Amino acid sequence: MLLKTLPKLQIQNCRHIKKYSTAIVAQTNQNEHLQQRKLMFPPKYQKPRQVWIENLDTIDERKLGLLDLHPSVFAVNPRIDIIQQNVRWQTLYRYVSYAHTKSTFECRGGGKKPWPQKGLGRARHGSIRSPLFKGGGVAHGPKSPTTHFYMLPFDVRLQGLTTTLTVKLAQDDLHVVDSLEIPAEEPSYIEELVKSRNWGPSVLFVDVADVMPRNITAATDTIKHFNLMPAYGLNVYSMLKHDTLVLTKPAVELIEDKLLTHLHKNDTRFVTSKYKVNQV
Amino acid sequence: MPHNPPTMEKAFNLLRALPRVCLANLKDHNWRKTTKRGRAQHGGDKHGAGNKGGGQRQNFMRIGYETGNNPFYKRFPCENYYRGQHLKRQYPPLSMLDLQKMIDTNRIDITKPIDLVAIANTGLYRMFPDQHHFGVNLTDEGADIFCAKVNLEVQWTNDLVIAAVERCGGIPIPRRMIPPPDAIEFYTDPAKRGYLADPEKISQERLVLAQKYGYELPRIEDDPDYEMLTERKDPRQIFYGLEPGWVVNLRDKVILKPLEEELLKYYNS
Repeated sequence: MLLKTLPKLQIQNCRHIKKYSTAIVAQTNQNEHLQQRKLMFPPKYQKPRQVWIENLDTIDERKLGLLDLHPSVFAVNPRIDIIQQNVRWQTLYRYVSYAHTKSTFECRGGGKKPWPQKGLGRARHGSIRSPLFKGGGVAHGPKSPTTHFYMLPFDVRLQGLTTTLTVKLAQDDLHVVDSLEIPAEEPSYIEELVKSRNWGPSVLFVDVADVMPRNITAATDTIKHFNLMPAYGLNVYSMLKHDTLVLTKPAVELIEDKLLTHLHKNDTRFVTSKYKVNQV
Repeated sequence: MPHNPPTMEKAFNLLRALPRVCLANLKDHNWRKTTKRGRAQHGGDKHGAGNKGGGQRQNFMRIGYETGNNPFYKRFPCENYYRGQHLKRQYPPLSMLDLQKMIDTNRIDITKPIDLVAIANTGLYRMFPDQHHFGVNLTDEGADIFCAKVNLEVQWTNDLVIAAVERCGGIPIPRRMIPPPDAIEFYTDPAKRGYLADPEKISQERLVLAQKYGYELPRIEDDPDYEMLTERKDPRQIFYGLEPGWVVNLRDKVILKPLEEELLKYYNS
């Protein structure tokens, strides 16, 4: 459907954008820069995707090498509906609605029959708090607290992560850096770096451990739209909330490792079984 | 040479040209909407549910209820066919087709002897000891296509399965820790390759079975995997590599072995 609607846009824009692209299909001959990496579960039918490894220690971008990415994680079918389902789940599972209304019998008063049943020519009523009355109760109104918790199927959660990583890479919004070490702890350095590299206003930096280098922690502390996240916290919502996703090379390896392990899992009985609220 | 499917490449190129996918422009798949009741000529009717009563309220009679008659399912107070069923030993079946599939999909490693632990570790076969499950019954479905050379240990099987395994050069052993009295005959029978049977008689039975089904018996003595194929557990041993009486501490990753003479005597008896 997309192809039908936008054939021209695709051809025109691709040429223009490719100059700034970070995602490249494996065709290059720059073997000296190639970061040789043995992929887990080597793909049989798809070429690995490749991405430049960049640096953060200078404002001007230097390309340190090319990194192979596993196509089962970074080149899957870009299904927007899977992403949407994940985002919906992430917003809803923690949402508790506190909207509250009173029913007829929770309202104060209204115990007495307002006027006799017959003889007045008026409509028959038994209580001034019935839903028909102004100031009366609400029929089938919201009750507080209402939880909206549900568990998305395991495969959809897994697919959500791979799909979002794929989309980010395909849209040139995923950058891989060697490490998060920066020379200065002033916010101006990182701001200028992001601006010069055209990384969009909001950036999510992801590293393996949850203890980040001091400089980048101090530099991004006051900037609300630059956020740091450990690899174990990576999620669909945060990736989409930020314009650009910056992963360190070890983080890429860890994420790939974890996702491939689950994608090739033999025993999925536990993870695909019905979620119980008190399960470990 | 692997290549990315052209449709996928198209999708990635298109994505690069399209606006950034973000929280504001996501959309779910157009799921099929639940159909409404028809609004045409008979739209105002009852839609087959009748007027009033249980049919309309979907308050159907319970299954088997015969509106007051003595129901069929209650007419016969017991079926002796199932007497003692809850006490019988159960062997949940596993077909040779399933076993071959587990081997083909790398769920079972055939370079090592295959026992109940290996089959259960695939996650596709489950045992419930509380439901009187005593082991695997390897059935002969798929015996024609079974082609793996394995050292196999199952708790129940028939001669066609044994023939199918031995034709490929493999060896099955029915096996149990302490056989119940009515199963001692089965596990000491060389024709069933019982683990308590005399090995020499088993060799003879291997020849007999090969002649019965008409295949040439592979010489396992000349096989490069001879060691693996002839590896046997001790009649008292449950797991390969672990002897009875050992205590495995998973938290500290150590194995505690008994030294007391009395214990050693007890576990080796």
